[in-house]
Amino acid sequence: MLAPVAEATKMLPFNHPLHLAAHEFLVNEAYIQDRRDFDAWLALMTEDVVYRVPVTSTLGANAHKSDEMDHLHEDLFSLKMRIARLKSNFAWTESPPSRTRHMVTNVCCYPTEADNEVRALSAILVFRTQGDYMGPDLIAGSREDILRQQNGEMKLAQRIVRLDEAVLRTQNLAIFL
Amino acid sequence: MSVATEEMSRTLDAVRQGWIPTSIYSDSAVFEAEKRKLFNRTWQFLAHESEIPKNGDYVVRRVIDDSFIVARGDDGKVRAFLNLCRHRGGQVCRNESGNTKRFLCPYHAWAYKTDGSLAGVPYHQEAYGGDAELNKAEFGLFPPPHTEIFNGLIFINLDPGAKPLQEQLGDFKTYLEFYFPPSPRHVEVRGPQRWRFKANWKVGAENFSGDTYHTPHTHASTGAIKLVSSAATTNRKAGIMYAAGGGSGATFRLGEGSFEQRLRAVGYPDDMIKRMSDYMSPAVRGMIEKDGVLPSAGTLFPNLSMLQISARVDDSGEVYPFTTIRSWQPISATETEILSFFVVDSDATPEFKEKSYKAYVMCFGTSGMFEQDDMDAWVTLTRMTQGYMSGSVHLHSRMGLRQDGTPLTEPLKEFSGPGVAHIGFNEYNQRLWLTRWADYLEMDQPSRPVRAAHPMAQAAE
Repeated sequence: MLAPVAEATKMLPFNHPLHLAAHEFLVNEAYIQDRRDFDAWLALMTEDVVYRVPVTSTLGANAHKSDEMDHLHEDLFSLKMRIARLKSNFAWTESPPSRTRHMVTNVCCYPTEADNEVRALSAILVFRTQGDYMGPDLIAGSREDILRQQNGEMKLAQRIVRLDEAVLRTQNLAIFL
Repeated sequence: MSVATEEMSRTLDAVRQGWIPTSIYSDSAVFEAEKRKLFNRTWQFLAHESEIPKNGDYVVRRVIDDSFIVARGDDGKVRAFLNLCRHRGGQVCRNESGNTKRFLCPYHAWAYKTDGSLAGVPYHQEAYGGDAELNKAEFGLFPPPHTEIFNGLIFINLDPGAKPLQEQLGDFKTYLEFYFPPSPRHVEVRGPQRWRFKANWKVGAENFSGDTYHTPHTHASTGAIKLVSSAATTNRKAGIMYAAGGGSGATFRLGEGSFEQRLRAVGYPDDMIKRMSDYMSPAVRGMIEKDGVLPSAGTLFPNLSMLQISARVDDSGEVYPFTTIRSWQPISATETEILSFFVVDSDATPEFKEKSYKAYVMCFGTSGMFEQDDMDAWVTLTRMTQGYMSGSVHLHSRMGLRQDGTPLTEPLKEFSGPGVAHIGFNEYNQRLWLTRWADYLEMDQPSRPVRAAHPMAQAAE
């Protein structure tokens, strides 16, 4: 979801320390994701992390459904379970593993009411192939993240990925966005 | 008999023997036959009533290439109609869901009410001569030949000569009522998640009809991380499989104990057990109480599948049950769109609904830790059988049959549910599904769902 215009006035300048820290976090995270370093990725999460990928639906006026269905609806427990599965040797769909490229761009940051948190909006394009047979699949969307500084380190406290497609065209979400 | 007809006939005969020509999973001619003889003749699930609770609510769903609006009219009645303007074929609704008073064609602004009737034609009097020359009452959106609702599930049938839905359901009704009890308000449906995968649509439908054999291996990862109770994956062999009426399915074995204890052990809270008891048929109650099994996956022929299992969603060690229903919508012979819904008792506590929903997302759907690996297996199967050489292979789908065709195991003599039941791994249900599929492909095409409106065509008929 793009930032409302009113919010643009509050956008942190690109040389703001919080913007720089958030941008560095997102770039670093993308490299961690693409080299499948799941433990390092988990270490980026706060204990109370909320990670969601709601289903994008083409809603007409007054539709009674909103964000009620998700492709992913995770907390730290379920993220850990998913990663334990990927490391179990029985996650057939990721054998061989997907090759992904997370492109993260258009980063805009906004202050929040908490001094140690920043709200970071960005655009992502994930390129996915597997072996010599799958894809390329493209997954595009926006991210709305809340990043929290904890003991001098930036952590992900909340991520909502809003996909641009109502119907996903990749066989599953065995990868993280 | 043409060469093509002879080849199809040989294909279908082989299918009935459990020797499956790989071509049925990728041949576009087979898919064309399915479109002309199967999807336009069978009852097709479109939506659940709980998705459109208020007057004016609608969802838009497809059957192959036909788009349908399912709307609740101002009179509270649920109807389906073709999403096609009677004037120039415009798409009158472009949303997936919403609430409206009118469907307005973007092309020339013909407007339709939520009961499908034509409400407005610009310059109706000046350009058309009013109702005397273009009677609006005759130009509503086309309803499918038949629409029926079973326990909140909205089905349509495009065959004017179709038999009632109850006949397609037959005794499968009893099992369907386990997932969708007779009180439609008892259930709410969320979703769907929609995604496309490059596999033939039949593979998923067959799998849900009774493939317990794949569970211990395909889903070994879920056992490794103790996502579900071990009975759900490792003890699948002890489950009972049934075939009844228009559907079939599998069950998993419950632990020892009373009816309540058995349901509690798979995570049903007492208030839900009470409501389930109120609505449950004696047959399903007997399955739980006497036979010690609970329905897991099932398929209503041809392309509606459902599933109920329990999973862990937190560190407590407790498991929470969830239900999903999904429709396998073919895009082509080698690509399928799945519409996967989460289903829950609408009277359940918000806490239970949240845990059950989380269990669903962890296990099934786009990111589900079970479904991820099913997708991989089905996509791989479809890809590997598209070759010249691999396309001439007959796959072995004869589990449970001796070489002479006699069954290895006898049906259970005592089983509380209707239909024929077997215990242990076998492919009776998949063969039954494929045999029924073959029967449809040998039928003549049904008559067309829309009669030509113009007088010349009507005279010719």
